Amino acid sequence: MSSSLLHAASAQPNLTPILDMVFQLITFFMLVINFKTAAMDLDLKLPVVGSARPVDTQGQDDLLILNINSHGQLRVYGQLVSDVPHYIANEAQASLLVARRNNPQIKSGDELPSTVVIRADKGTPFTMLNHVIETCQTNGYRRFALKAMNKEETP
Amino acid sequence: MRRKRQRTQSDVELNLAAMLDMAFQLLTFFILTFKPAPIEGQVLLRMPPPQPVTNIAGEKAGADPQNTNPVQGLSTLVVSALANADGSLKQMAVGETPIGGLTALERKLEDILRDPGSGFDQVIVQVDSRLHYGPLMQVIDVCTRQKLPSGEPLSKLSFVELPTAN
Repeated sequence: MSSSLLHAASAQPNLTPILDMVFQLITFFMLVINFKTAAMDLDLKLPVVGSARPVDTQGQDDLLILNINSHGQLRVYGQLVSDVPHYIANEAQASLLVARRNNPQIKSGDELPSTVVIRADKGTPFTMLNHVIETCQTNGYRRFALKAMNKEETP
Repeated sequence: MRRKRQRTQSDVELNLAAMLDMAFQLLTFFILTFKPAPIEGQVLLRMPPPQPVTNIAGEKAGADPQNTNPVQGLSTLVVSALANADGSLKQMAVGETPIGGLTALERKLEDILRDPGSGFDQVIVQVDSRLHYGPLMQVIDVCTRQKLPSGEPLSKLSFVELPTAN
């Protein structure tokens, strides 16, 4: 009898419910995690435009995401790009190689099927923005997506 | 009774503590790396390099030697956006006509593009080099909301940088 009581006092807690809960939380975070945000500079203050539509890649995954801050500096994956023309030319070359998988006829200088996603701060002067756009156009990019917020962000 | 208890004690029990440790580590990783993406929209544009073209597909302006009117036959509408020194929008113009504000610009573009004989299918936006991206997007917003006589939305835009007016 006393042995049985001692055994009951040293009973281990049932960890199964807490494990269930933790796994549910892990599943939630795994589903909502979005590694594409790493390409975005979240410090930028995008302009607010009413007609900006939600992002729809239409099955197209080849995107060139360019973050331009208010000083006109280009940031990609958090890194400052000093030589913008060189960087865009390299990306265009990579896009061309990807495009050749679907269309072997495509040549250097042809229109690239990739989309340039421009995320610029609302205080970026046009001259700096235009420098990036012109460089992209020179390298064959024609499709652009200018990012904006649908509504003002609440702090 | 005694026999039953012995059988229960011989059951293998999984040690869940180790699994719980691992699960908590995974949970910590996901919590620390979680950064909700802002809900962003985008304006999709097709931007060829700025080049006024005629209604004849792909022909450059001035390619027809018989055409003595330099504007006739152009399918490009020119919108200008001038800036104040602080980068805000100062004034706009459609062609040579000055436009006071964004609402007036919208009305003017609607009037021009509604006309089936207008033939415009692209817009060149001449932008003051000082104009900030925010006000520029408002101008682009007005342009992209327009519909061409064919019913398609206007999505063919080009930018030309205007030198800074002193």
